Amino acid sequence: MIDNGLLVQMILGALLGLSVYLPMAAGQLSLATPAFYAVGGTLAALLSTHGSSQSTISLWAVLGEMLLAAGLTAGLALLVGLPVLRLRGIYLAIATIALVEMVRVAILNLPFTGGAAGIFGIPQPFQKPFGYVLFSGGLLAVCGWLFQRLEASRLVRSMAAIRDDELASRCMGIHTTRVKLTAFVASAVLAGITGVIAAHYLNTWNARQGSFDVAITTLAFVILGGSRSWLGPVLGGLLLTALPELLRPVGDLRLVLFGLVILLGPVFFPQGLITPTLLERLGRWKP
Amino acid sequence: MTITATATPLLELRQISRQFGGLHALSEVSFQVKEGEIFGLIGPNGAGKTTLFNLLSGVTPASSGTIHWRGQAMQGLSPDRHNRLGIARTFQNLRLFTGLSVLENVLVALHRQPQGNGLDALLNSPRFQRHQSALRERALQLLDELGLVDQAHRQASGLAYGDRRRLEIARALATAPALLLLDEPAAGMNPREKEQLCELLAQLRQRHQLTLVVIEHHVSLLMQLCQRLAVLDFGRLIAVGIPEQIQRDPRVIEAYLGSSR
Repeated sequence: MIDNGLLVQMILGALLGLSVYLPMAAGQLSLATPAFYAVGGTLAALLSTHGSSQSTISLWAVLGEMLLAAGLTAGLALLVGLPVLRLRGIYLAIATIALVEMVRVAILNLPFTGGAAGIFGIPQPFQKPFGYVLFSGGLLAVCGWLFQRLEASRLVRSMAAIRDDELASRCMGIHTTRVKLTAFVASAVLAGITGVIAAHYLNTWNARQGSFDVAITTLAFVILGGSRSWLGPVLGGLLLTALPELLRPVGDLRLVLFGLVILLGPVFFPQGLITPTLLERLGRWKP
Repeated sequence: MTITATATPLLELRQISRQFGGLHALSEVSFQVKEGEIFGLIGPNGAGKTTLFNLLSGVTPASSGTIHWRGQAMQGLSPDRHNRLGIARTFQNLRLFTGLSVLENVLVALHRQPQGNGLDALLNSPRFQRHQSALRERALQLLDELGLVDQAHRQASGLAYGDRRRLEIARALATAPALLLLDEPAAGMNPREKEQLCELLAQLRQRHQLTLVVIEHHVSLLMQLCQRLAVLDFGRLIAVGIPEQIQRDPRVIEAYLGSSR
């Protein structure tokens, strides 16, 4: 039922879910994830197809692309984040949607990104999907470890405080702009390097990869999975990426069912599937 | 604690005004707060007391006039800068981190204490663990002082009203302030709790070498607690002085006590 190909997509979904979750953990509704995802993917597509028509690429080159994508998205996030993070709530959401659109239109119209058709024949570091499973799974594991370890850190604690009450956080001396910007940059970097992996895996890249639809889908990962622990968006990303594929036997009805899950999830699990209460009951994990 | 008249006041307001559109919330308010004293701020509803606190904590800027901290003008500083200078506050309408536990509320506010760097946190190094247990100990000690230690692991939203007010004080104290601004700390407390709070504040002042500015509607509590008081009425300062003076001041009686009785 779940083959390696689907598993890769599920893991990439979980990574994007984490990217949306990061600013949200600091109380910021940012939908900018697809923009940075698109930047990472386009960068990888351009670099790996430039001046060579080989169908394979070394893993080291991919890691190098990820590093470059991390730097580029971090720089872009810093530049955009400083003015944009002054906005709150729905206004921040709208500004980040605008960013997604700007990046999409830019990729569509730049002379070297292949227009609507995009870039083809992106070389592969792995010959079989299983290689991607290990690679992206490894990245997800590292991210999970980071999130778990940093739970007790000052940064994550300040993020939780800002989510509850930004003004009170400021009055407690927390440099809220710095904390929010850190979360935003980390989110961008994660989306960027996920984009690099996705571009190689998909073999082709175009402007549609980072559209408004993706913003909504990745937001649904966090809403359904739960936004109170990093496990929520991971679970949401895995489930909601798998669902349309698993429902393939029922034909077009699957889109209706998918919509129904997104609709009914918040009705029955208003806090998402992973709640602090659930984690407490599981004991070992701390929310 | 002796207060010398020549020393620079800890806090000095010079001709502070604040308008909201056409509303003069504060008009040319000037007074000084000396190091170590408990200073009361009273006035009828809408007199501008909370607005004044918002100015003192950097939440809203003054329309005109300056506020001096240890002789230095604080102008255009953000709330977090105010806190780092040593000014902490509580909120009249309670702004706890309700999603966090009581302990975490205090831990958040201890963010300037040594924590170990990010790498220490990642590796869960002995140094990080040492810092973490020191932080917890400090937080628990503060909670103990405020009588909240047995509720440390409850979620802040589940606390009783009086306990929430005390948690606000614990959280503000965790930022190691020199000046603590308390906005109606006794609101919603019963007479016995108010009595206890009075003693507690006096103790805290001693132990943490604090200067306190307290807004309170319960006038007799303030008369008992404070060395000096200021009275606001419609944004104007109508009297400053020791409790005995304030009680006898005809303008205060007219504006505050007289008109409401």
